[in-house]
Formats: sequence, structure tokens, C-alpha cells
Amino acid sequence: MSERTDGRGDVSEPSSTAEDGRSAGDPLLRVENLQKSYGDETVLRGIDFDLDRRDVEVIIGPSGSGKSTMLRCVNRLTEFQGGTISLDGESVMAMNENELRRRVGMVFQDINLFAHLTALENVTLGLRKVLDMSKGDAEDKAMSQLERVGLAPQAASYPAELSGGQKQRVGIARALAMDPELLLFDEPTSALDPELVGEVLEVMRDLADGGMTMLVVTHEMGFARRAASSLMFLDEGKIVERGPPEQLFDSPERDRTREFLARLTTISEEA
Amino acid sequence: MSGERSTARQALSNAGRQLPAGRSLGLAVGALFWCWLVVRWVAIWLGSKEPFFPATFFEGLATGFRNDGLVMQQTGGALAPVLDFVAGVWFLFSDLAGFVAFGVEYLPELAEGAWLTVVLTVTGILFGLVIAVPLSVARVYGGPVTRGLSLGYIELLRGTPLLAQLFVLYFGLNLSQYFRGFTFGVLPSAAVWVAIVGFTVNSAAYQAEYIRAALESVESGQLTAARAIGLSRTEGIRHVVLPQGLRYAIPGWTNELIYLIKYSSLAAFITVVELFESGRIIASDTFAYLNIYGMLALFYLALVLSATLFMGWVENRVAIPGLGVRDGR
Amino acid sequence: MVLSSASPLVFDPIAAQALPLEWLPPDWQFVVRNWDYLAGGLGVTIVLTATSILLGFLAGFPMGAIEVYGSGPLKRLVSTVGVVLRAIPIVVILVFMFFVAPIPFPSGEFGMWLPGIGSFDIGLSAFAAATVGLGLRSAAYQAQIFRGALQSVSGGQMEAARSVGMSKLQAIRHVIMPQALRRSIPGFQNEFTIVLKDTSVAFAIGLAELLKRSYDLFVESTTAVLEVILFISILYFIMTFVTNRTLDYLGEYYAIPGGEG
Ligand SMILES: Nc1ncnc2c1ncn2[C@@H]1O[C@H](COP(=O)(O)OP(=O)(O)OP(=O)(O)O)[C@@H](O)[C@H]1O
Ligand SMILES: [Mg+2]
Repeated sequence: MSERTDGRGDVSEPSSTAEDGRSAGDPLLRVENLQKSYGDETVLRGIDFDLDRRDVEVIIGPSGSGKSTMLRCVNRLTEFQGGTISLDGESVMAMNENELRRRVGMVFQDINLFAHLTALENVTLGLRKVLDMSKGDAEDKAMSQLERVGLAPQAASYPAELSGGQKQRVGIARALAMDPELLLFDEPTSALDPELVGEVLEVMRDLADGGMTMLVVTHEMGFARRAASSLMFLDEGKIVERGPPEQLFDSPERDRTREFLARLTTISEEA
Repeated sequence: MSGERSTARQALSNAGRQLPAGRSLGLAVGALFWCWLVVRWVAIWLGSKEPFFPATFFEGLATGFRNDGLVMQQTGGALAPVLDFVAGVWFLFSDLAGFVAFGVEYLPELAEGAWLTVVLTVTGILFGLVIAVPLSVARVYGGPVTRGLSLGYIELLRGTPLLAQLFVLYFGLNLSQYFRGFTFGVLPSAAVWVAIVGFTVNSAAYQAEYIRAALESVESGQLTAARAIGLSRTEGIRHVVLPQGLRYAIPGWTNELIYLIKYSSLAAFITVVELFESGRIIASDTFAYLNIYGMLALFYLALVLSATLFMGWVENRVAIPGLGVRDGR
Repeated sequence: MVLSSASPLVFDPIAAQALPLEWLPPDWQFVVRNWDYLAGGLGVTIVLTATSILLGFLAGFPMGAIEVYGSGPLKRLVSTVGVVLRAIPIVVILVFMFFVAPIPFPSGEFGMWLPGIGSFDIGLSAFAAATVGLGLRSAAYQAQIFRGALQSVSGGQMEAARSVGMSKLQAIRHVIMPQALRRSIPGFQNEFTIVLKDTSVAFAIGLAELLKRSYDLFVESTTAVLEVILFISILYFIMTFVTNRTLDYLGEYYAIPGGEG
């Protein structure tokens, strides 16, 4: 596993990673003072963090705390009002939207496979229409991505013919096929039946081990412990605490973090 | 897929909002229209077809605007372009006043036609409902024979044009001979009866389809539960399934009402002087096609939008919390 | 306004000899003998349905898209025009098109030929007015069908398409449209049969379609009224039936395996 970011959990000093002297250039993703509101309702109140290449950040937090909103700001599926987000040193606002989204893949909670296309076609569509690849090349590449998530045999199936876990793995393959530098996961397993969660997490773990940079909203604490380089607890639009997973699990600095994690573990043990 | 007239509902249900005038203005205009229409009907019934407002006033207005406009156009000098523009506006006013004058003069006759349109629509839908309920119950819960008969009736009537059906009744079966004795004030001719029969028979088929779809959308567990508390099958259908199903069918009725308002115009071709035919008669007398068809369009628009608003109100009135009439289907 | 060229009641001795008609009641013999005249009407009805549906599609599809993705005055205009067209009886629309519309429809006739029907003439001005009237009205309804279908494709599909880097247009073109078109098949099926049946209202402007020709016939031979109308009713029924089955088949053929349609 790669080095981990500084885990002092100090919100007021977001640039702490720079002190490591580990990364000479910019971090892959830098979020500074991110603010976002829907009408009168402020959802994100100044978020700061860096994410280095090959790192996996797991985001947890109560419902409505702004986790999805934050992810969607990163690939500009939603617009934000304040702060900056930079990818590889370049502000995302300065980039072409489509180009940004090609470089930042996303996997959804409700999966959103294209219902009228087969698993293979779901993966090739972006390759052909966005990257202008030829049909043959796109299919070769798509097949290798499907193999990577263990779904080559189901390439010709339509979404309605796949199980939830298989669908989500196609969703991951679809995002991977574009060779993204960063992958966003928004609760990729929470719509799945418990027995299907494992197969998706396994794919995600393989990706993490393979060095993919990932920003993952999930409440699967097993995954966080095993694969995350850093864990972030978000509440009411702010980072309450951030640090290596063991630290947050074993000795969180804030009571709120402790409470939330305690509740989370009881729930997942009950389930 | 419930019925083939189903797009009309969605389309018109938010017509009030869609029209640029806005909802409250629309409501006010609608209320005014209906007040006038009802008063007009009473007046006609009492024997007066005189317009309530003097058409000569608007005619005078039209000529006045026109003359002023002509004068302005002929004035030369530095202001000529401005005056030309104002003259254009004045001519527009003149045309508008002319349209209003025309409307005022012929509105009583159109109102008389509208009466028959409303009568045909309302009787058609009500009598149609009386036939449609047993038809749809037979179609959903009947044995093979009743089911087949009901299906045959529904498909045959939905598969042929309404105008052809009216022709069968009026020219083919010469149905009006049986209604000769039944003509009086409200129903001025035997042909009106034939039209009512035609709309009833036709509407029954469409309504049966709506109700069938609605009945099928009531969960089957509901009937089982009814049987479980000791109701007979018929009682279960009567007290549990129908009360829910008929609510689901309201959107269908909105379509049906709008459909009948519009298609009652086809009664014109079997000599019934309803709204469209009364307009056509005026048009052939005056050759003022544009004015008269403009008036007709406004009239039908008013009737259809009123029906939509009314059905929306009914839907809200009978809504049961948790029984999705509006959404989920 | 006499638009029918072939005159009714032409007795074709060859055709009559070819068909042994004696076993039929005389009024049905009359119907069979005038098959050619009615067949011409059938042809006009079919052609008119096709042209109206086509015009309705060409105008209605963009109208529906504007109602979903458009904004401002254009969207308001489209939806207002739609409300008006859907509120006015088709007979008023047709009569308006024929007598008032400022479109200079060409006069005269044009000949057509259809397999199984033979050749027949169509009166140009009435046909054009009917096509425009039925077509515009159908456009207003088809716009609603497409609007509903476009809106029924979940917002997540758009987001997923955008998040692999497609532009909004690409997403609409490759992801939303293919699904929306499939979902609009049932609505389209209804619309098709409505237009087919409403071609009979072109009777009002004297177009020699099926109903008008049957009217011509039974006005001539008043004993055969019922037979003539029942006969053409059967023809209409067969047409709607065949249309429905064909579109059912199309719907199944293009259905997404395992999908809800
Ligand atoms: N499109 C929107 N319009 C208005 N408000 C929104 C919208 N999307 C989200 N919100 C609001 O923003 C807040 C944060 O939402 P967000 O979806 O980011 O929460 P979350 O942390 O992802 O919650 P969950 O765990 O339930 O997914 C919520 O209060 C929500 O109501
Ligand atoms: Mg969320």
C-alpha cells in the first residue's frame, strides 16, 4: 500500500500533506474551501483536503451531510459556489466539462447502466463516442475491462438480465474503460442485497491494490479498514475528522466521530 | 396503455399553467364565460336571442379606428413614419373590434349550439358509464363467454371511426324513426337522440377499457382479503375493488370527457345543430370563415379547459391518501 | 368541390361475370360490384394516414424535445400551440385548413397505385388540407407522447452518460433517445389508430376517402345503406387491427430483453 497522508485530522491546516515532502508536484486532487448551497440551504461549508495519486479516501457521514454533493462537485455534475477544486494542479472550472469527466470516472449508487444496451455496449459507448475509438478496438478494450471485473461471460446480457452485483461491476468497468485518473464511488454497494456486496467490494479492493486513485463514499467499514489510505468523517457539510482508518477507528479525537462509528459498527454487525 | 385517448389527459391537465395568461386570470375568464353561457341559455329558453351587448357599438368602434387609421396614413410630413406605425396599430384595433362585434352578434346562436354540445357530451358519458361498468367487470371477472362478448364489443367500437358508427345508426338503421315522438325544447330533433345513442354506445367501449385497466391495477390481494372476511366475490368486487378502481379511472374519464366534447362535433353530419354546425351555418350565411372558426376554436378551448379543471377538482375531492391516483401509473 | 373522379355505380361486366354473385342478397351484390370505387377510397385513407402520421412525427418529435429540453418563449409557444391544437375538434381544424388557411394548396388531382387496391385519384387541395390538419393535430399529440417518454428515462441515465464524458447532445442522442423511442411505441400505436379513424372526418371537406365514397354509394342506392356502411366499417376495423398487431410486433421486436418496455 502506498504512503498515507498526514492524519492529524487538523481541518484548519489542509496543506499538511505538503509537509511530508513526499510528493514533489501537485496532489492529484486538491479541494480548497469548497462551498456549495442549493438555494438557501448550505450543503458544503468549506471543505479542504488533498488526495495523492494511488491513495484511497473513504468518506463517511450521516445522511444529508453532503457526501454525494461533494463527489458531484469534483466531476462537476453539480456546480459549486465557492472554493476551488484542482485536478493535477489545474482548476476543474478551467477545464472542458467533458474532458474532466473523462478523466474522473464515477460509479453510482443506483448504478444507472444504460438500459437499452448490453453489458459490452455499456462499456463501449463512451469509448466510441467520446474517445472516437473504432468498433473493434473499443470492443477489445471493453472486453478486457469486463474480464477485470469478472464479467466477460455476461458481455451480451442486457442490464435487466444481470443481478445487482453484476450490474454494479459493469458500472465499474464502464468507468474504468475510459482510463480515468481518479474514480469516484458514491455508495456503490448500498443498493445491493447483502450477499452481493462482497463481489463488488472485491473488485474495488483489487483496484485499490492496483494503485487506482479513488474517492469512495461507503459505510462498509471492512473495506475502509482494509483498503483506505485515509478516512474522512463528514457532518453538516464540514470535515469533522480525517486520518488513517486505524486512528479514527481506535482513537478518534472527536466524540461525534466516536458516536457515529459506534453506531455504524453496531448496525453493520446487526445486518 | 390503458386507453387510446390517454395522452389527452397529461397534455391538458396542466393547460391552466401552460397558457401564458396564468392560472388566476384563466379561472376568472372561465367563470365569466360560464356565467354568461348559463344566463344566455336561460334567455334563449325564455325566447330571447337578442345579444346582451349592442353589436353596433363595436361596429362603430371598428369603423372609427379604421377611419382614424386611414387619416393618419395619409398625413405626410416629418411624423409620417411614426403615424404610419400608429395607423397599423389602429387597424389592428379595428380588426379586433370587428371580431368582437361579429362575436357579439352571433354569440347567441353559438351558445344555443353549445347547449347541444354539452347535452350530447354529458348524456353520452353518463349513459356510457352505465354500460361500461358491467362491460368492464365482465371483461375482467367474467367467464369465457361474457369475457369474449365484452371484448368483441369493445374492440369493434374502438376499431371503427365514430363517424361511421353515427352513419350506421342514422342512415343504416334509420334510428331516428323511433324517436319522432320524443322531441321537445331541450332535444329539438330526433337526430339528437340518435347522436346520444351513438355517443353512448361508443363511449361505453372506451370507458370500459379505462375501467378495465383501473380494475386490473387494484392489487389482487384486495379481492382475496375481501373474500377472507366473508364477502362473496360479487360483494368483494362491488365494495372493495370498484371503489378503488373507479378512482384510478378518473384520468381516463378526463380524457373521455374531452374526447366527447370535441367529437360531439361529428353529430353535425347527422343534422344535429350543435356548436360546430351552428358555426358552419353562420359561416355559410356570412362567409366570415376566419371570424367564425376563430370563435369556434375559442369556444371549444373554453369547454375543454373547463372540463380539465373540473376533473382535476373531482380528482382532488375523491383522493384517498396513499391511493396513488395522480402518480405511480 | 367535386373531387371524386371515378364515378360510383359503374357496372363492370367482366368483374361481375368473374364473380358468381347470385347467392348474395342484392344489396351485398351492389357492394361487391362497387368494390373498385370503395377500394379507391381505401387507398386514399391509407395514403392520408401515412402522410399525416409522417408530418405529425416530423413536427411532433422536435416539439416534444423542446417541451423537455427547451426553455423561454420557444417552449411556451410550443406548449401553447399544443394545448390549442389538442382542444379543438378535428373537424374544425380540417374545415379551417380547407377554407381559411392562408396556404395556397394546389388544385387538381394526382393518380396513385397501391398493391391490392389498384390505381386511384386523389383530389390535391382537399388531400393537402387534410394532411396538414391531421398532421398538425397529430404532431401536438405525438409531442406529448415523446415528452412523456423522454421524461420517463431517469435522470440517472443522463448523469451516467455525462460522467463518461459525453456532451449533453451526445447523451440525448445515444442514451436518452433510444430508450425514449422504445417507450413511446404504445402511445404511438394509439395515435396511429386515432389518425386512421379520423381520416374519415375529411368527409367534411369532400375528400373522396373511404367514408365519403361509401356515402356517395348509399345516397345513390338507398336500400343498400346498411350493407355499404357495415362493409366499410369492417374495412376500418381490419385496418386498425392490422396496424395494432404490426406495431405490437414492432414493440416486441425492439423490446430490451428483460426490460419493462
Ligand atoms: N438537487 C438538489 N436540490 C436541492 N437540495 C439537494 C439536492 N441534492 C441534495 N440536496 C440536499 O443537500 C444535502 C446533502 O445531500 P447529499 O446527497 O450530498 O447527502 P449525502 O451525504 O450524500 O446523504 P446520503 O447518505 O443520504 O446519500 C441534503 O440536505 C439534501 O437535501
Ligand atoms: Mg448520497
